[in-house]
Amino acid sequence: MGQSNTVRGALGTDADGSAGSDRSTHPTPHGSWTPSLDERLSALESPVGEALGPVLESIADEPDRITVVPDAHYPFHPSTGMVTDPAVVGAVLDHLSWRTDADLAVAGVSTECMPFERTAEYLGYPDLCERTGAELVDLAPDSPDGDFTRQVFPVDDRSVAVSVPEQLHEDTVLVVPSLRPTDEGNVAGGMRTLGGFADAVAESAPTAVAATRAIEPACCLFDAMTAYGDEPYAANALFAGPTPVVDALAASLFGAGFDDRVIELAPDATESATGVEPRSGSSPQIRVEAVGRTATDPAVDFGAQLDTLETRLKGGTLPPSDETHPAVSIAYRLYAAVGGDAVPPQLELRGGS
Amino acid sequence: MLSSTIGRLTGTGSDDLALGVLGVGNIGMVHLKSARSMPGVEVCAVADALPENRARAERVGVPQTYDDYTTLLEREELDAAVIALPPFLHADAVERAAAAGVDVFVEKPLARSTEEADRMLDTAREAGIAVGVDHTLRYQPDMIGVKSEFEDGTVGHVPYASITRLNDGPLGRPPVENAPPSWPLDPDAAGGGSLLELGIHCFDVLEWLFGELEVQDASTDSTLDIPVEDAATVLLRAPETETSITLHCGSYQWEQLPEVNTRLRLEGITGTISNQDHLPQNFYAGAAKSALTNVLGRFTGDEPDVFGPTFYLQAHYEALSAFCEAIRDGERPPIDGEDGRRSLALAETAAELAAEKNTAELEPLEVTR
Repeated sequence: MGQSNTVRGALGTDADGSAGSDRSTHPTPHGSWTPSLDERLSALESPVGEALGPVLESIADEPDRITVVPDAHYPFHPSTGMVTDPAVVGAVLDHLSWRTDADLAVAGVSTECMPFERTAEYLGYPDLCERTGAELVDLAPDSPDGDFTRQVFPVDDRSVAVSVPEQLHEDTVLVVPSLRPTDEGNVAGGMRTLGGFADAVAESAPTAVAATRAIEPACCLFDAMTAYGDEPYAANALFAGPTPVVDALAASLFGAGFDDRVIELAPDATESATGVEPRSGSSPQIRVEAVGRTATDPAVDFGAQLDTLETRLKGGTLPPSDETHPAVSIAYRLYAAVGGDAVPPQLELRGGS
Repeated sequence: MLSSTIGRLTGTGSDDLALGVLGVGNIGMVHLKSARSMPGVEVCAVADALPENRARAERVGVPQTYDDYTTLLEREELDAAVIALPPFLHADAVERAAAAGVDVFVEKPLARSTEEADRMLDTAREAGIAVGVDHTLRYQPDMIGVKSEFEDGTVGHVPYASITRLNDGPLGRPPVENAPPSWPLDPDAAGGGSLLELGIHCFDVLEWLFGELEVQDASTDSTLDIPVEDAATVLLRAPETETSITLHCGSYQWEQLPEVNTRLRLEGITGTISNQDHLPQNFYAGAAKSALTNVLGRFTGDEPDVFGPTFYLQAHYEALSAFCEAIRDGERPPIDGEDGRRSLALAETAAELAAEKNTAELEPLEVTR
């Protein structure tokens, strides 16, 4: 994958906003979002190929199956940046189907809040998979495809036992996260996306690192076509590289104060992923290399775009919860008792009277 | 029962209206809390299939809970019942309430189709029970303010009006905290998408303002691959006031409470009437003022403005209160089954027009030589 700590960066569309290869059929769009999945997919074919370049070459060694793992944790609209744009996944599948004879799969995991089947349906994955014959699989522990393998890794000077789906352990895996924060204020990167498939008793950060080591993804392709900071931002960018390195780049875009335990633990994983030992206690040194038309188009200043992206994402968090603060609920209940009013259901204390 | 309510108000052993609540999920719990705050109303029992909802009702002080509404209607002596069940259960609940001679206040939409609504209303008519429908927009202070200005003639003739109602629908927004219900995205269970969930409120408030409406055109869309529309735009005409109206409803926009994205504008000859001019400048300051008024009211003996600090929930209280008052007085509910059916018919016509266009777009063009 080129230099060990290098991230390949590519614009999703040309500098003028058009869709790259064929300006006659892809005029400059209005607004930031192209609703047609077909048009987005068509526009992304070249940039995805350019970003993945060396990975696609290495994958030509013909693995039996390649599994693509997007951020499909909930059916948020892809224009929010809160999930991977299925068009990015579609472009990846197209490239893989051209380059290899391997079976293809797209994997997700059901959560307490949402079955993966429902999320995948609402995001349009069944049609997308049908185009390339890719299989859509739910790798939750209780699903039919949910066979797990258990491994133990040293993370942060302690042993972390982690069970990951057999399919992710055995397959060649491409993880395709979205560039956004999590509910807890971390980067929802490649490692945390893979950690979402793991069964472990450790906290989420060492679990994510251990899961990444167990799965050993071939590459992480960060979908930053639309990123989410405090609001969506049409960043129009893709970043590809070793998973811990791309995650570290993502964390750095959210700012120095963005304390992500996974990134803290990343040097360990980085060494595993890249074969290079980073400086002790430091984050990996990351170089972002513009590739393809992004590198050759004189109208593109990719460095400036990265700076803008950093400005837009810095300190970004998800919207506040609608959940009422307990202090507000208590105050309202006190008022209701004195004022003879009813307490709205939304202001009831959970599980309380 | 509409014709004999006054004589029957003895189920609670007092003159109080004996009320049951069928379904105490989100909106059902609002109705329950409203009813418990209402003078002259006693909530005798609630029914809900979910144990956690029944437990919440018990914590509120409901004396009897049931896991199905059929048993509740068979066993309890009620004057009226609130039907806050998913739409696919409305018809059955009305039928069973009719068999028990219990008047009903039905959550919107009244039914999943006008055909189903007709059957419900026939059943109600034959049993002699009253049917009210929970269309709350016209009870909101901002909508009341718009109507008052309109009727005062403050902008003269109104050739054009627009209404927009947006929220985040069943899928919600981040952070994800609960599993979304599945029935609102099931066309068989809900009867449709945004048009029945949000548009129906808009149709009701527009007819309240402008009189009977005609649907001229409509389009619908889904922003995700979901089986119901989550966006709809409708062109309407109000013959009585000669007003053209556009309506847009969508359950695709992240909603940040307490802000609620409902915009109503009446463009008149001398100016604009907007509901935004009748909202509190600052919701928190408005809530504090309302709370203070209620507390002071305790000392002066005034009835509290129930849910006043929440601004929007007070409309639900007012809607149910008006229904209960009408039942108690043996009168027609202020928003009755025919009103609910008319809003449903407008939504249905809009959906049909949009479907015709969507079908036409999909049909291949005929090639002739």
